[in-house]
Amino acid sequence: MTARTAGAIEHGVARVLTIGTWASIALVLVGVVELLAAGRSPLDSAPAFDLAAIPADLLALRPDGALWLGILGLLATPSVRVLASLVGFARGGERAMVVVAALILLVVGLGVLAGLSVG
Amino acid sequence: MGVGLLMVAGGAAAGLFGSLLGLGGGILLVPLLTLGFGLPLHEAVGVSLVSVIVTSAAAASVYLERAVADLRLGMSLELFTAMGAVVGGAIAVLVDERVVAGLFAALLLYVSLTMLRATRARTPVPETPAPAPVPAAADAAPIATTATTTVAESWTDRVLGPRPYRLRRFPLGIVGSVVAGIASALLGIGGGLVKVPVMHLVMGVPLRVATATSNLMIGITASTSAIVYLLTGGIDPYVAGPTALGVFVGASLGSRSGHRLPVAALRVLFVVVLLYTAYQMARRALAIP
Repeated sequence: MTARTAGAIEHGVARVLTIGTWASIALVLVGVVELLAAGRSPLDSAPAFDLAAIPADLLALRPDGALWLGILGLLATPSVRVLASLVGFARGGERAMVVVAALILLVVGLGVLAGLSVG
Repeated sequence: MGVGLLMVAGGAAAGLFGSLLGLGGGILLVPLLTLGFGLPLHEAVGVSLVSVIVTSAAAASVYLERAVADLRLGMSLELFTAMGAVVGGAIAVLVDERVVAGLFAALLLYVSLTMLRATRARTPVPETPAPAPVPAAADAAPIATTATTTVAESWTDRVLGPRPYRLRRFPLGIVGSVVAGIASALLGIGGGLVKVPVMHLVMGVPLRVATATSNLMIGITASTSAIVYLLTGGIDPYVAGPTALGVFVGASLGSRSGHRLPVAALRVLFVVVLLYTAYQMARRALAIP
């Protein structure tokens, strides 16, 4: 692995984080503007998460659609970052780090399953 | 409108603080949302988890571009933190939370005093210097394959340029990361509170690199919990929205201007947070309301 390869991995991962965050935050901003434009307060009762309702909410310019989609984007960004690192390490031939990245994704998956079974 | 702006402002403060110290900012947000806005604790924690992800992603992207965060070290340690969090969640029903809180308060007190001594002596915690500058952090062998050796690393100071250092005692770092994950699951505290001192005091990582790397790591742990909160109805999108916007602004500012803050000031700030958390843990251990 060369320094250039290594720097490229960091740069690629940083770009994934930047794109993921900015895109998600842009959606959240749209949702907050729609919320305030509708004369509602952040302390009003919010709807429960419903993945299937997001497209309809987005088209109807209801704040719930953009807010939930933005939050989903934020929640996915760290895992996508690990996935991007895995791809970068695989391309750079860093097998140990590929295993580390794959194990992180596995543990995250197990953690979510364990949390859901307890909760 | 006023409530929304207050949430943005509170989020900005938490994001700024969290990105500077590698803590995520939940330590500020949860009291703000529960005491300031009357949110139930469960919902405040859910919003705080989303905010930790925002802090992590916004700050880590800047720190990675500027070669301050150590991607390989962060990923190697976060694996063990995530494992610790799973173990902590599994044993939560078996241990007395008050005993854990008491032990943790003592540990935090010890760590704060150690960091304070380094500040008062005006000398950094011994960071084993590398024999020669290395061109890039990533020239080091993968962390996972060199667990028992020291590894040459470097980071880039905005003023002084590339600064080499040696990573040492990686096995102890693994133990610290597992403890961070367990403490995070058992006590609901951010893992950064443990990981930053472990990297800095035990592994010889410069404080700026430790806080930057912690920022990278905390996102994945928070996202695991946040997904569970999302699927169990623990995230309020109306509160999470404005708070996340503020956190994004604060974390972006903190990560771009943090290099102007002297390391001594950063250390003192960290010690204050450690002492505050130790106090809160001691109260919990003694069942003081």
